[in-house]
Amino acid sequence: MAIREGRVAQAFVELADTLVDDYDVADLLHTLAEQCVRLLDAAAAGLLLADQRGSLQVLASSSEGARLLELFQLQTEEGPCVECFHTQAPVLVADIAAESHRWPQFAAAASREGFVSVHALPLRLRTQTIGALNLFGRERGALSEEDLRLGQALADTATIGILQERAIHHREILVEQLQTALNSRVIIEQAKGVLATVGNLDMGAAFIVLRTYARNHSARLSEVARDLVERDLDATTVLAGHLAPRPTI
Amino acid sequence: MAELEALRAAVLAALDDPDAAAGVDAVGRVCRACVRLLPVDGAAVSIMSDAQNRETVYASDAVSVALGELQFSLGEGPCFQAYATGGPVLVPDLAKAAAPHWPVFAAQVADYPVGALFTFPVQIGTIRLATLDTYRTTAGPLSAAELSVALQVADIAALALSGLAAGDDSWLDEDGRWLEESSTMRHRQVHQATGVLIIQLELPAGQALSRMRAYAFSHDRPLADIAADIVGRRLLLVEDQG
Repeated sequence: MAIREGRVAQAFVELADTLVDDYDVADLLHTLAEQCVRLLDAAAAGLLLADQRGSLQVLASSSEGARLLELFQLQTEEGPCVECFHTQAPVLVADIAAESHRWPQFAAAASREGFVSVHALPLRLRTQTIGALNLFGRERGALSEEDLRLGQALADTATIGILQERAIHHREILVEQLQTALNSRVIIEQAKGVLATVGNLDMGAAFIVLRTYARNHSARLSEVARDLVERDLDATTVLAGHLAPRPTI
Repeated sequence: MAELEALRAAVLAALDDPDAAAGVDAVGRVCRACVRLLPVDGAAVSIMSDAQNRETVYASDAVSVALGELQFSLGEGPCFQAYATGGPVLVPDLAKAAAPHWPVFAAQVADYPVGALFTFPVQIGTIRLATLDTYRTTAGPLSAAELSVALQVADIAALALSGLAAGDDSWLDEDGRWLEESSTMRHRQVHQATGVLIIQLELPAGQALSRMRAYAFSHDRPLADIAADIVGRRLLLVEDQG
């Protein structure tokens, strides 16, 4: 028991270690799959993860057999792992053959790969389910309560890591857009100054010239503005044919 | 601290609001909470991308506005230092501060009712996007507990700012609604005047702005006034000036 406790602690440390600054979700999930096989009474483990649009992908597996079986479930859209994801609840199958009526195609495929039992646990935080952890066995029988609890705890740890990474990434994109917007606004104001000076216009008229040119050339306002400010585009070109410059006094 | 949690919850709720004004409100809420929770008299949040591009989203009082304007006008100050280094800039006694990074700001800020300045970078993940600028009228340091609160407030400010980008992305190029509303883009004329100087002085934008800043400094006038005069064609910066 003491040996197992040590290995369990080690497993969590390893999972936590993958949750560093620029960690890779695939790496985290592979670690999780491997730890499950090492610690739990399972012959193989596989992980399905929903992408941002909600469609499931096979992200990690401890063996090629498990990977094929996961892919097979996704293609046929049936099986305990898919069901676990959709119902957001564990699906425990001690004897696949005995329940082959529920997922006939999956039962046949599992049998071909030599798996006779499967336990699917949701990757879940509160109301959000992002995937499923699947434990395949080569012998009939239910996983012990303790193994199930430990498997779920490992899955929960991974889930928190994934959700946190997604949240940070989402916010990073938003604030990058914010800075882009600020830069665009600055450049557009500068371009107005350029056009107003060359064309002898007020700032409002300069903006209309800028916008008209961008629309006529199907270009982004901020790109035309940048070209003007960096003098890759001549102001007279933008002004041409729009408003004849008033004579300067 | 319960009030910090309440603030975070309020900001998160505002993030679900697609209206850009809700995002600005959330930033304002963070600044006002900052003044309540910390021994400071004013707080402001400004978005930055470099020394040229800086816009204040919210300032809790006139002195905070003026401090931001002074730093932008000079192109130096604690906010630029915090943004560049990614660490807080703590100046508990401004009158005695050695300020190698902002000597001119240090000299000019003596005219303001400011005893201490505490400036914090605002970042999300690896992206630094803004600064939280606080001041107080009297000198004195922040305690370790207060510093911890300030850093958490800066984190919540980052969250609030991300709300400005919420909604459709049409504002990305041209709309920038948070910049439009109630003329929140303070430096509009400075950027327009930069464009004028790009042509008149045949300089790249960065140098044009530097020239304008130098002119404002040497004539002891605010940058905004110089910009207004250039845009209004009342002032012509010629080659040998500035």
